[in-house]
Amino acid sequence: MIQIDHLTKRYGERLAVNDISFRVEPGEVIGFLGPNGAGKSTTLRMLTGYLTPNEGSIRIGDVDAIASPVKARKLIGYMPESVPLYREMRVEEYLRYRARLKQVPSAKRKAHIDKALELASVADVRDRIIGQLSKGYRSRVGLADALVADPPLLVLDEPTAGLDPNQIRQVRDLIRGMAGEKTVLLSTHILPEVESTCGRVLIINKGELVGEGEPGNLRAASEGQQMITVEARSAREPLEELLLKVEGVRSVADATLLSNDPPVTRLKLAADAGEITERIFSAIAEASLTLRELRRDEASLEDVFASLTTRDGSQDEAEESSEEPGDKQEEGGA
Amino acid sequence: MNAILTIARREIYSWFVSPIAYVVLTVWLLTCGMVFFLLAMAFSTGGSGGGENLLQAFFGGTSFFYQTLLVFAPILTMRLLAEERARGTMEALLTAPVTEVQVVLGKYLAAMVFWVSLWVPTLLYVWVASGTAEDVIDYGALAATYVGLLGLGVFFMAIGLLMSAVARNQIVAAMLTFMVLGGIYVLGFAGYIVPDDDLRAIFEYLGMWAQMSTFSKGLIDTRYLVFDGTVALLSLFLAVRVLQANRAQ
Repeated sequence: MIQIDHLTKRYGERLAVNDISFRVEPGEVIGFLGPNGAGKSTTLRMLTGYLTPNEGSIRIGDVDAIASPVKARKLIGYMPESVPLYREMRVEEYLRYRARLKQVPSAKRKAHIDKALELASVADVRDRIIGQLSKGYRSRVGLADALVADPPLLVLDEPTAGLDPNQIRQVRDLIRGMAGEKTVLLSTHILPEVESTCGRVLIINKGELVGEGEPGNLRAASEGQQMITVEARSAREPLEELLLKVEGVRSVADATLLSNDPPVTRLKLAADAGEITERIFSAIAEASLTLRELRRDEASLEDVFASLTTRDGSQDEAEESSEEPGDKQEEGGA
Repeated sequence: MNAILTIARREIYSWFVSPIAYVVLTVWLLTCGMVFFLLAMAFSTGGSGGGENLLQAFFGGTSFFYQTLLVFAPILTMRLLAEERARGTMEALLTAPVTEVQVVLGKYLAAMVFWVSLWVPTLLYVWVASGTAEDVIDYGALAATYVGLLGLGVFFMAIGLLMSAVARNQIVAAMLTFMVLGGIYVLGFAGYIVPDDDLRAIFEYLGMWAQMSTFSKGLIDTRYLVFDGTVALLSLFLAVRVLQANRAQ
């Protein structure tokens, strides 16, 4: 259904997407996973024809999306991340306009609109003005817009952002329900979303594809690696520095300063398999720090993600989290 | 064609549900009414407002109009593309199966409807003027007047649309349009101060006032229409290119 080869996008000097290639089979539900600013939205925007790539090719079905963009766009229902809507219009009017724009034949328009309203559970607000709706409703109106022409491919950019837990479950059920019937590509930075809805995951970081596979297999790929939780009386930086020197410790996946005075830090470390806890213990003892907790965890998908997307060191992670503190919290809470 | 009409229809809908449309129309009608009243007073006391009869003076003999239009034309066109970009709806619009040409033409069609909506109420003045015994209306000249107004609209709305494509937001779009149209308007007056005959002819030709005073006399001067049409075509072509270039960023 989707065939992307060597896709590259530059914004001036900055390389937003670097030589990405992947395939999506018809009927697949595939998750596009990455931290904020990884290039997810840029890739989706190229796929849907909003942006033209600098290099590479895109095929949707058997249409070359770069040579015949209008034909390709007819096959796609796209829900942009910001869910842009005309605030002054009523929900049903908006969908009627979108259906007309997407060339739904007039005889079928009413049925299509009713079905989209129902699938996205916005039928109860069909006569309301969009600007007066809550964010949860607005984002589902965006979903209804993606569904209204009944396209074979749905591209959803963070479809559950801004929804409450019940609505999130509804949307995930909806997406799961479409597996087999429609091809769905959804982007997210929330891991449980991928585990609960997608058959396959693509992990993207800094514009490059860093991992691919079934959510289950990705976790298996992290075997040979373990997660260690360390809690000690120390400030964050010296503890990180100390433990990164320990043989077998690969990276710091997460760091929290639990209290400031006296400083207590909790670190999550990605490490090689083996008797590493002993080495960590002696390192902490040698530095005369007080150890409060030392624990080995089974690597979760979240940890795989963290270790795949923070390969280049913890400094980048710090940069990212200072950029989007809100999203980071959401990720931790989910 | 269908996509063009769909886009135009939505644009017209959004304009006429917005309060700004009614503010613009009200102020416009007040201005027109005042100018018409003053001219009618002048004619009834035996004076002349710069034209042979009331309507000719109204449409072609006074500069009130054009100064008001310089402010209003940008307001009509500022939203067209700039607002789509500012609100992010451009992404939804440009990922629908439509071409950039269809988007631009749809928006342009809507702008022309806004323009015409300014002039429809002036038919009332024609009706009022037709009631005065000594002022027999020259319907031929009147038709030419409206052709001239349409030509001016073709020109103004296309410039406004281009500026709306270029600008980041509505305010900038309005200001750019005002500056371009105002600049051309002022150039029209340069004809009075330039000593060189050929140059003067060019400046007078550019002036929108000259266009309207010609048409209000009943003269359909195709040179003006060609000018309006070519400026419009160039602007629309550039607007399409701007949208295409935005995709490549």
